[in-house]
Amino acid sequence: MVQSGLICAFVWLLVQGIDRLLSWQTLARPIVTATLTGLFLGDLTTGIVMAASLEAIFMGISAIGGSVPADACASSIVAVAYTILTGADVETGLALAMPIGTLMGSAAEMWKPVQAALAPYWERMAGSGRVKSFRMQVIGCGLFFDRLPQAIILFAAIAFGVQGLESVMNGLPPFIMSGLSAASGMMTGIGFAILISMIWNREIGWFFFIGYVFQKYMQLPTVAIAIIAAVMAFVYFNTEKKINDAKRSVTADAAESVEEEDLF
Amino acid sequence: MAKTTYSEQEKKTLRKMFWNSGLVFSGFNMVKMEGNAFALTMAPALEELYEDQEERNEAMRRHNGFFNTHAVLFSLIAGITYALERQKKTTGSVDDGVIENIKVALMGPTAGIGDAFFFNCLRVIAAGIAIGLCSQGNLLGVLLFVLIYGGSQMVARWYLLRTGYKYGTSFIDSVFESGLMESLTKAAGVMGITMVGAMVASSVNVKLAWTITVGQTSVVVLDIINSIMPGLLSILLVFGLVRLIKKGHKPITLVFGILLISIVLAFFGIF
Repeated sequence: MVQSGLICAFVWLLVQGIDRLLSWQTLARPIVTATLTGLFLGDLTTGIVMAASLEAIFMGISAIGGSVPADACASSIVAVAYTILTGADVETGLALAMPIGTLMGSAAEMWKPVQAALAPYWERMAGSGRVKSFRMQVIGCGLFFDRLPQAIILFAAIAFGVQGLESVMNGLPPFIMSGLSAASGMMTGIGFAILISMIWNREIGWFFFIGYVFQKYMQLPTVAIAIIAAVMAFVYFNTEKKINDAKRSVTADAAESVEEEDLF
Repeated sequence: MAKTTYSEQEKKTLRKMFWNSGLVFSGFNMVKMEGNAFALTMAPALEELYEDQEERNEAMRRHNGFFNTHAVLFSLIAGITYALERQKKTTGSVDDGVIENIKVALMGPTAGIGDAFFFNCLRVIAAGIAIGLCSQGNLLGVLLFVLIYGGSQMVARWYLLRTGYKYGTSFIDSVFESGLMESLTKAAGVMGITMVGAMVASSVNVKLAWTITVGQTSVVVLDIINSIMPGLLSILLVFGLVRLIKKGHKPITLVFGILLISIVLAFFGIF
């Protein structure tokens, strides 16, 4: 099982890594992931057939009993692995894969502060002029570092069983998880704060609250808010333009009258 | 009138930008989100435009700021930004604030459009074709899925990059000629800051779990605060952070500060 665990972790890193180099989120879909898992575990046909039903399940086309796990990619790997290794059917495999979504979520949550802490380092790299090494390090992150904890969880899930892993994770004091998830919700605030401190000015800054109200109180879709924002921007643009034109004609008039005075 | 011909140099830069724009989710983090990828996508353009190393570094740092949109439409904004950077370099009529505002104004709507088109529409079509073939054990289904869903995103990314550059250049040119740059700057700012408000509302989240129990009744503190104004805490958090940044506190201090405070407060059951 340890070997299969390593294979599954490798499949995870492979599909996630390639998706992060081409930004197309294609390989991490169940239909490709399940096929690749089958291929590397030595049973391609089971992989392909399961790929079809897993994709259908995660798209909500065909329903199975109970709820669907959160992480489509990881659950597909685990479900295919269980089916091939233990001979279970798709639904049993998926039921066994059920807790993996939560576990993967916890792993991602614990990793987020680490990634966020790297932001100042990236800024220094970007401004250092060493573009090549900056690029190589970002690629390294995409291929390996970004998804490392999930790969370890996936390995442990196949090698030692999801249930065992779950009980280990449940042994963690709950305040750590809730603290980390609260922190990652707030860390986005730092990025916005940097942005706001750059573009805020007293004249137009107050439009911030219009956007806020549209989203929070009225829950409009983003495109709707963008359309309203564009109309406001257009009106603002026209008003500004008229004021500028008026100013220009006033100064032109003034210049003319000065000239006339000179003539006399 | 859109620009129709590209010089050899422009073609080369656009090609390099295309490959870099694949890195959208590499080095993703909660603070800058896609900032690393955006800086890297702009790197070939900046290399072409800025000869002075100091200037180039400064521009790279500028483009490493917060950025977040859909992975494919990302390249449209990169193309427009390339046009803006060129304008900044050649005529000096565009300043850093305009570039930043136009980026911000575009990222919200493009995120919505991208998901609606690629994820909710094209993916479902591709999967529909693939599921039928795969359930009969035919490998062709998987290949078709990669080709339709993945391939179309690659092609779209390339054309959007070029389109962004092409129309960005002609648009900025015409604005510059009519002398309306200052008005445009303000208008872009209006749209940008409105979208920032909307994005703060949707993505900054203070998860207060604090409940005060008095005898038989318990009071959820977050509900009370939200009844004053929904998400009041997120606004206070963001503007508190703006204050700290203006005072010169480094982002790294803020990251660790938030982490420490969250875990300590979670220990006391507040988060």
